Amino acid sequence: MGLRPTHVRTRLTLWYVSVLASLLILAWAGTCALLFWQLRSQLDHFSIQEIETVEGLFFFTPDGQLGVREDYHNHPESKEVIERFLEVRSPDGTVLFRNERLGNRALGGDPFPGEGIGGYSERSAPLSDGTRVRLVSRVHTLDGHPLLIRLAHSEEPLFSQLKELLLASLVVLPLVLVVAWISGYGLARRALSPIEQMARRAQEITPDKLDARLPNDDTDDELGQLARVFNQTLARLEQAFEQLRRFTSDASHELRTPLAMIRSVGEVGLQKDGTRAEYRDIIGSMLEEVNRLTSLIDNLLTISRADSGHIQLHRTVVPVIALAREAAGLLEILMEEKSLRLVLEGDEHAQVEGDCLFLRQALVNILHNAVKYSPVGEAISVRVRNGDANQVTIEIQDRGPGVPSEDHGRIFDRFYRVDKARWRESGGAGLGLSIAKWAVEAHGGSIGLTSEPNKGCTFRISLPSARAEAPALRRNGQKEAQT
Amino acid sequence: MPLRPDRSYKGNVHILVVEDEQKMAKALQEGLEADEYSVQVAYTGEEGFYLIQARPFDLVILDVMLPGRDGFEILATLRSRGIKTPVLLLTSRDTLEDRVRGLDTGADDYLVKPFAFPELLARTRALLRRARPGGSQRFKLADLEMNVAQRSVLRAGQPIELTAREFELLEYLFAEQGRVVSREMLARDIWKETSRQTPLDNVIDAQMARLRRKLDGQFERKLLHTVRGVGFVLREEDGS
Repeated sequence: MGLRPTHVRTRLTLWYVSVLASLLILAWAGTCALLFWQLRSQLDHFSIQEIETVEGLFFFTPDGQLGVREDYHNHPESKEVIERFLEVRSPDGTVLFRNERLGNRALGGDPFPGEGIGGYSERSAPLSDGTRVRLVSRVHTLDGHPLLIRLAHSEEPLFSQLKELLLASLVVLPLVLVVAWISGYGLARRALSPIEQMARRAQEITPDKLDARLPNDDTDDELGQLARVFNQTLARLEQAFEQLRRFTSDASHELRTPLAMIRSVGEVGLQKDGTRAEYRDIIGSMLEEVNRLTSLIDNLLTISRADSGHIQLHRTVVPVIALAREAAGLLEILMEEKSLRLVLEGDEHAQVEGDCLFLRQALVNILHNAVKYSPVGEAISVRVRNGDANQVTIEIQDRGPGVPSEDHGRIFDRFYRVDKARWRESGGAGLGLSIAKWAVEAHGGSIGLTSEPNKGCTFRISLPSARAEAPALRRNGQKEAQT
Repeated sequence: MPLRPDRSYKGNVHILVVEDEQKMAKALQEGLEADEYSVQVAYTGEEGFYLIQARPFDLVILDVMLPGRDGFEILATLRSRGIKTPVLLLTSRDTLEDRVRGLDTGADDYLVKPFAFPELLARTRALLRRARPGGSQRFKLADLEMNVAQRSVLRAGQPIELTAREFELLEYLFAEQGRVVSREMLARDIWKETSRQTPLDNVIDAQMARLRRKLDGQFERKLLHTVRGVGFVLREEDGS
């Protein structure tokens, strides 16, 4: 709501102070009640002693009137004695005596049954003029007549004491709370200052400055943990941004190359008058570059859709050998042109669950790569194994020049080419293997390369086999369908 | 009523091109006119819609990305008014959802930009014809003869041995005789490859080179030509 303070430290302090205030008020009220109760019982105790004294002062005059020995007044023992109220009634309620201080005000009204019999009855009651008194009654037998003696003291001093206490608390309590507020606020601010520091630093982190990190990640407390987690996220983000940046710059470079060719071929063609055949050749050459651009953009679109998770896999059970045969069949003519032999062997029963179009594309891309780099007359072998741990592995081995070991990590990177100078004649933009890697990983598999220079490459694809992994894959499939 | 297209009277076939990019519209118009169709161009969806209602067309080539009402909307309105003219959608977005949406809305075919022009011509012919011709069983070009039923190919009276794929290719080229066939068309129709990412260009080129060796190898007069940057064509004279 609108009244909610925006700063955590204010909220914390507010909480802390209000809890403290309620505790203080409770304690204060308890103290007051206890004090009041103690004072009153003191008063009662005093009144009982008084009654015992007063009992001895009553006498019956010869005409049957009740009298009190007056000398008592000459030696007042204490303020309470003077200030006491005294009333004597007969059991039927007739007022026999009232002292001067009481005058003609009634003390406690008509007697109730059992009042003052066999002990002392204490109660609080107001006089008719509203003065609050504490009254003790006792039945005393004088000359065979039962007398109900009521003795009371004003409770007003008690209340005024209580009032003083309350007034004092009204001054002290806010003071305590103000001090508590200030120190609590300071404490909260000190405790939260690392967060503020982190927030300030985090605010400075923009896509250009992703190398910045949050402070305080070296401490072991909750904030240190938070900073560490945040920094790890930042590191991943930085890596992703870096990849994206490299991808964008590589992509624009790749797009620029055919564009540059279209431009120069066109410009050069227009510089001089040519024959019809020459013009056809120029336009044809430009169109070739356009085709290259088109397929490059198609690939980039596939990659970006794969990256954003927009590609849906249409999973079916796919027999791996048949898929490999199909992929190899597509490239058969290229192999024939280079007199390459294809050795395709393995478990006929190996099956995976997946999108056969994407899986086939992965295989075609890797095989195409193998065909491109194989020397004339060599063999390419494809081995399918239904291995342990419910994995189907596909090994594609060529006897080409191989990949230097320092390039193994990057061979699946986008636009990566081992031989930068040769790529145009072998006709690829360096996306085939990265698309293959994406396709395999989208199916929960992995792809790897082992290679030694001059001894060829072996690409190894592992995919979860169809039978055992079916339920897990189906879950996975649903997840992909949702995105 | 759509006129029955006849190859010798193509001028009677009227095509409406709805395309806002002027360059693209002009290229489409000239390309189609070169193939002897009568072409009218509308640069906005509204204009196109008005023209369709004003007079009957045999085919509408409709760009999806139009300012104002886009191609899908125009198409939906046309279909809701009971206008059944065949519509070929052009789009630069190649997603399955777009394709499904286009076909659901009532498009008869769907072509993703950038496309090869021979492909557009082939689709146009297919839509006007509504089906590939039952297939001629015999073809002849100069001294090259093909008998599909007997699966025989003769050049200058001498039989040529072709593999199944080569035979299929030749039949396709014969059916499109004199017209350029693009690699995309071959990939889709002969190799049945729907994905544009599969690297088939090398495969097609190799296959074509081999077919050419068999057909034209020792003959003076070449019949199977490569049109650089576009595709292949089966005809008597090299067009250049």
